[in-house]
Amino acid sequence: MTVKWMIKRMMMGIVVLIVVSFFSFWMLDQAPGNLAASYYGGNAQTLNASEIERINETFDLNRPMMERYFSWLQEATQKNLGYSSKEGRPVVDILSEKVPNTIVLVAVSLLLIIALSIPLGLKAGMKKDSILSKLVSNLSIIMSSIPAFWLGLVLIWLFSLQLGLLPSSGMKSIGSDGSLLDRLTHLVLPVTVLVVSHVGLYARFLQESVIVENTKYYVLVMNANGVDKKTIERGILKNALSPYISYFAMTLPSFFGGSVIIESLFSFGGLGQLLVKAVSSKDFPVLMGGVLTMGIFVVVTLFIADCILYIVNPQIRKEGVR
Amino acid sequence: MSTHKKQMFCWSFLLVVFLVTLFSSYLTPYDANTMNMSEVYESPNGSHLFGTDHLGRDVLTRLIQGGKVTLTVATVATILSFIIGLIYGGISGYLGGVLDTVMMRIVEVLLTIPSILIILVCQAFMQGNIWSMILIIGLTSWYTTARMIRTEFLKLNQMEFVQMAKMIGTPSWKIILDHLLRNSIQAVFVVTLFNFAGAIFVEVSLSFLGIGVPPAVPSWGNMLYHAQSDFIAGAWWIGLFPGLLIIFTVLAINMIGSSSIKAKGGQ
Repeated sequence: MTVKWMIKRMMMGIVVLIVVSFFSFWMLDQAPGNLAASYYGGNAQTLNASEIERINETFDLNRPMMERYFSWLQEATQKNLGYSSKEGRPVVDILSEKVPNTIVLVAVSLLLIIALSIPLGLKAGMKKDSILSKLVSNLSIIMSSIPAFWLGLVLIWLFSLQLGLLPSSGMKSIGSDGSLLDRLTHLVLPVTVLVVSHVGLYARFLQESVIVENTKYYVLVMNANGVDKKTIERGILKNALSPYISYFAMTLPSFFGGSVIIESLFSFGGLGQLLVKAVSSKDFPVLMGGVLTMGIFVVVTLFIADCILYIVNPQIRKEGVR
Repeated sequence: MSTHKKQMFCWSFLLVVFLVTLFSSYLTPYDANTMNMSEVYESPNGSHLFGTDHLGRDVLTRLIQGGKVTLTVATVATILSFIIGLIYGGISGYLGGVLDTVMMRIVEVLLTIPSILIILVCQAFMQGNIWSMILIIGLTSWYTTARMIRTEFLKLNQMEFVQMAKMIGTPSWKIILDHLLRNSIQAVFVVTLFNFAGAIFVEVSLSFLGIGVPPAVPSWGNMLYHAQSDFIAGAWWIGLFPGLLIIFTVLAINMIGSSSIKAKGGQ
């Protein structure tokens, strides 16, 4: 059963990746103007017909789009994503420099969000009318109304410009050898923005499920039988956790979207910044590679979330598939 | 404040924002794009209530005029996504069966794709046009609406009054419009509201990154495009006021949304 379920989930992930890559490939193919021109860059107007022909020949741009897509896909499975049209380096090399940074940023933020939102949501849900409960529900609405990048701007202004405590951008200080401490201080602001702008949302969701769970019959019985508070809390959390995980999985794609913007704001040399740069410089091979990598990110994290859900929720295990 | 009062307050705030932006051309003393190099980076004062930016343009004027672009983009995009979601979800829910399964699987796949990826790819070549922004936002935000409409249609289709209408031979277009659609509008209202808030966020964020609305057009996001360097120059007012206006507008929308959810007693 478990194997079948896993295969099914993986198939879904592969479908997603194919859809994303095909769509992006098709969209970029529809771009107005000559594809060869986008390989040539800034002074594309100076290209004459024979040069365009030469570029087309070199990069096989004359072939039909479907044919090109399938050869791209074939090469992509062998870890060849072509060459950046701006830098001339292999896209895989560029990606392998950027991806670890994004993994660190996203992993640290996600772990902090989980570690903060679960106790917050649980405590706020258990005491429905407490100050904490009101705080969580109101703050979460307010925090989700603040554009994350604007929050970042304000934090940069406060901590980098006014107080001079934290660096405002980059991965490490200029001229520094990139020691751990230096890297960590550069991580503080981006992570803070991502955590602060998301934690309320998840805490509130858990809070609401806990409130719903709290009204259920089994809680009443446990209370009546004098089961201690800690045990009840654990029981409620266990039940409230599966909708929480589903919600988490559902919002992961938009979380990754948010990280793209935050990376650009802090000039954090990760996948997101690379994508935005590739868009503004019309570096299509990098854009394709970046989109595929981002897709893999999302699919893998969703898969992990699904696995956790599978472990936590016996109902899904029994039914096998969703 | 009671829920009702809170909602009324939020609605009136939104109304004021909409009206002011609608009649912006009559209200603003300056032109949004007129540069004045002798009044660069002026902090808020008597003649420029919200100060001036790096080209000496009046921030308040640009803020009011910029609302026009941002709110137009968000409104039209939301309407577009609403229509697409309605049609897609409606077909899926009304016809049901294998088609329904296939259509919902497709939505599931689409939901997994971060919409920013699609937006980035599209902006790679469509840049420079407000309408392309609207199109992209509309095309990437209809999934939830479609899902909800489908659920409502499936549910309503089982109801007695719809079965009865079918039995007495009411034409299907009438069933769809009069019974199914009219009864499911309320359910998608909140989603549409949140979509609207989301659309404002997308416009603002993309324009902030410099890949949204063309730079010459004043919009709330574009005003923030320079804010990072302006902050460093000490000109906090250029970033502060557009940010606050965005926050209050989105907050009002979110408040209305969440209080209508509460009023219905659901999640």
